[in-house]
Amino acid sequence: MTDPHASNPFRADAAFTAAAERFYELLKTFGAPAAAAAGRSPDWTTLAAPLAGQFEQWLKMSQFGGPWSGTAAPGGVGHGFEAASPAWLFGGLPLGPAAAPAGEARHTFELLGKLAQLQAQLAVHWGEVAQSAARGFVARMGAQGGSHGTPADALRLYELWVECAEEAYGATVRKAEFCRLQAELANTSAALLVEQRRQAESLVRAFGLPTRSEVDALYAQLQELRQRFGDSGAHAAAQADEPAGAATPAPRAARSKPARRVRPRGKRRSGRGTRG
Amino acid sequence: MSRSPDAATPAELTARIAVTLARVRQAAHVSVGCSSRRPVWSYRRTTLYHYLPCAGAATARRRAPPRPLLICFALVNRPYVLDLQPDRSLIRRLLEAGRSVYLIDWGDPEEGGHTDLAEYVIEHLGGCVRYLCASHDLSAVDLLGVCQGGVLSLCYSALFPARIANLVTLTTPVDFHTEADLLGRWARGLDTELIAALGNMPGELLNGLFLALMPLRLAQQKYVRLLTAGLEQSAIDDFVRMEKWIFDSPPQSAAALAQYVRWFYQENRLLQGTLQLRGQPVRLAAIRQPLLNLYALEDHIVPPAACAALGRHVSSRAYSAHAFATGHIGMYVSQAARTTIPQHISSWLDARRSGASR
Repeated sequence: MTDPHASNPFRADAAFTAAAERFYELLKTFGAPAAAAAGRSPDWTTLAAPLAGQFEQWLKMSQFGGPWSGTAAPGGVGHGFEAASPAWLFGGLPLGPAAAPAGEARHTFELLGKLAQLQAQLAVHWGEVAQSAARGFVARMGAQGGSHGTPADALRLYELWVECAEEAYGATVRKAEFCRLQAELANTSAALLVEQRRQAESLVRAFGLPTRSEVDALYAQLQELRQRFGDSGAHAAAQADEPAGAATPAPRAARSKPARRVRPRGKRRSGRGTRG
Repeated sequence: MSRSPDAATPAELTARIAVTLARVRQAAHVSVGCSSRRPVWSYRRTTLYHYLPCAGAATARRRAPPRPLLICFALVNRPYVLDLQPDRSLIRRLLEAGRSVYLIDWGDPEEGGHTDLAEYVIEHLGGCVRYLCASHDLSAVDLLGVCQGGVLSLCYSALFPARIANLVTLTTPVDFHTEADLLGRWARGLDTELIAALGNMPGELLNGLFLALMPLRLAQQKYVRLLTAGLEQSAIDDFVRMEKWIFDSPPQSAAALAQYVRWFYQENRLLQGTLQLRGQPVRLAAIRQPLLNLYALEDHIVPPAACAALGRHVSSRAYSAHAFATGHIGMYVSQAARTTIPQHISSWLDARRSGASR
């Protein structure tokens, strides 16, 4: 009936195409040792090594441990259907540290250095996750045996691989050490962004352009004016009930913009709001 | 394309994937939202919608008009998942059961990221409740809170108990420090002052976090399964519709997000009884109205234990809880959501209504 996000760029097939490509890669990986074995039991350790390598690479590119910490590769899996659209992330300096005065630039460089350090630590975790997944896969394949030559077999191997990989991932990302690292990564990225914005504000001020905070302040004033003159007959939604047990009305209530009853089609606006 | 994946040859599998990809492209423009509705009230970016009654709904068979049921969805997703398509619509099933359904759509937050949780609860949600009470000449409405919207609903019900006749919570976390809560573990070390300073948070960022809970399953395996399953166009349309919703996340007001992370995920204030909104204590013990708590046993976002804790902290004498063997999103669109959950909600509300006066 409606498409509330019709205005957004929407690439329905991007995630599937990427998934198909990755799946074919995996099929090739699964198929090779099975074909080489030709009746014998395949060497699962040989198979697990490239799987682990692909998984580790995928985790690094997708930044699953911290989606704020870097830009996923185009078509990366971290954003599903949105893979083709420019995802907003904390990374990517709009100006670059060189645009800032020396003192500020030093701080930005320090944050960037710290971010790189933390990302390197995260990469170590991804390596461990991949190795642990591979070990689990080999152990379970050794116990299972069976045929391994057809696409259906490859699909079964794929499902088992996903299970092992998720188990390994889940075990690592629950560890206190990982959680601390991830939080630090997010906080550093956020600090970097705040720093960038501060620098951007200085720069646009120097050019005589309005800054974000000035625009926000203007917007707030506009809201207040609308409240005062736009619908003065309306009762504010903020004419709130007294909270249970409260002695005084909610303090911020009077500052809120009046609510409005949505005008039914074909009728004149009554100019009267609603109150509870 | 009707052979099972198990029976496919390599050539057949390749052909199947190609056909599925073509169908996915065809499905790119599927629409979402199916029931007729009209906006009846708005406040800043929030709009209250009234869903028009279904033809042949059970309303006519009722003696008393149903009390309005207000649905309060989460801030982090769009609410149209509750009315995704005719055969996957919790709202439509409720309408068919004769309920008078209203839904809060929060819209996108205003620039600047200053809208805080107190404003969402007291002005936005509270404004909807007050509008409904005034327009229906009632002192109280029924409230259905979904996920994070359930948390807001609990806060409102605790602050203004006289305004809520019956409360239903769906996949609503109450204890944010349960063992299985991975989001909670990740959120504990975040600097909420920095979050608040960042302005509105893009929806993609939260999407990334949700995918990161089970990355291979959520960002790879489900696509591979679909590609190799040889599904018909209608099934692929359903899948794409769901994907649209998953990745259509609104930006988050920085102030509200920072408060939510700190007060709930980090400090577990709702459970501890230490939460205050505008200086007013929000105590779960103040909730005395009948309460139905529905949650999912396989929920990877809100663990069942996080929801089940509610029963131990409210004062409702008529409290009942029911767990469903499905996942978080399954509660909105699965087979259970299509039939059992709306029936459960509706018959529970009917039971509360019988004998009650306005």
